[in-house]
Amino acid sequence: MLKCREIVEHADALLAAELSPGRRMAVRVHLLMCRHCRRYVRQLQDLLRAVPQMHGRASDAEVAKVVRAVREHDKDA
Amino acid sequence: MAIDDSIDLAALRRREERAFAALVGLHHRALLATATAIVGSNDAEEVVQNTWIKAYSALPKFEGRAALRTWLTRIAINEGRMLLRGQRREMSLDSGDDGQPLADRFRDNGHWSKPPVTWHDESPDGLLMQRELEACLRRLLAAMPSRQRAMLELRDAGGLEFEEICNELAISASNARVLLHRARTQLYKLVDHYQETGEC
Repeated sequence: MLKCREIVEHADALLAAELSPGRRMAVRVHLLMCRHCRRYVRQLQDLLRAVPQMHGRASDAEVAKVVRAVREHDKDA
Repeated sequence: MAIDDSIDLAALRRREERAFAALVGLHHRALLATATAIVGSNDAEEVVQNTWIKAYSALPKFEGRAALRTWLTRIAINEGRMLLRGQRREMSLDSGDDGQPLADRFRDNGHWSKPPVTWHDESPDGLLMQRELEACLRRLLAAMPSRQRAMLELRDAGGLEFEEICNELAISASNARVLLHRARTQLYKLVDHYQETGEC
């Protein structure tokens, strides 16, 4: 039976569907019996969904600066 | 909801200013973070400015085969490379070796000694974007070895495939997976601690 530490090590591959069938089954069996690891994997999945947005939106001033620079470049080109 | 769902692609291809400004708003800071991981913070701004200029002129040809974030990230990598070449620098990323970030959470027998707490806000909007967490997240990313940071930015924030990242960073697939795992578990630990204590 896999240990919790190993579930954490395999969690990335599990979520990316990159585990071999045998290993996937072993991980699934562990997850059935261990609520801590179930929580770990579920929350890792939530975290990965949040990462693309972690830097937040640019401020209006940042956007205006980019748009201005692009427009000036476009005019010169 | 995907990050680009609010973007009007047709208007973007026509380079309508409103659509372009919305695109900049959504992706500018993430591109800055990617550029910082590749060229360092001093040159990141210039790389991202050039990225927007290139992206703007290429927008009419954007086919939508990749997500906009991924497409923009690829342009930023190219611009980063060009800047480094112009300065006769190479992409030099340190690997660091800070061990397993969650190692102290397990007993000797490999089972949890301190399992993760239940997170209260699990939505993509809420989880990493709370005001109190912002400064801690910035510190964590700044302190991360640059290869780990680059893996996180390119794979998880930028959406690039593993193979493409390995080529860009000249690292093996197994090394890339270790680096990404460490970056993710550091982030996990930060959020878990924040969710438990309200501070970080």
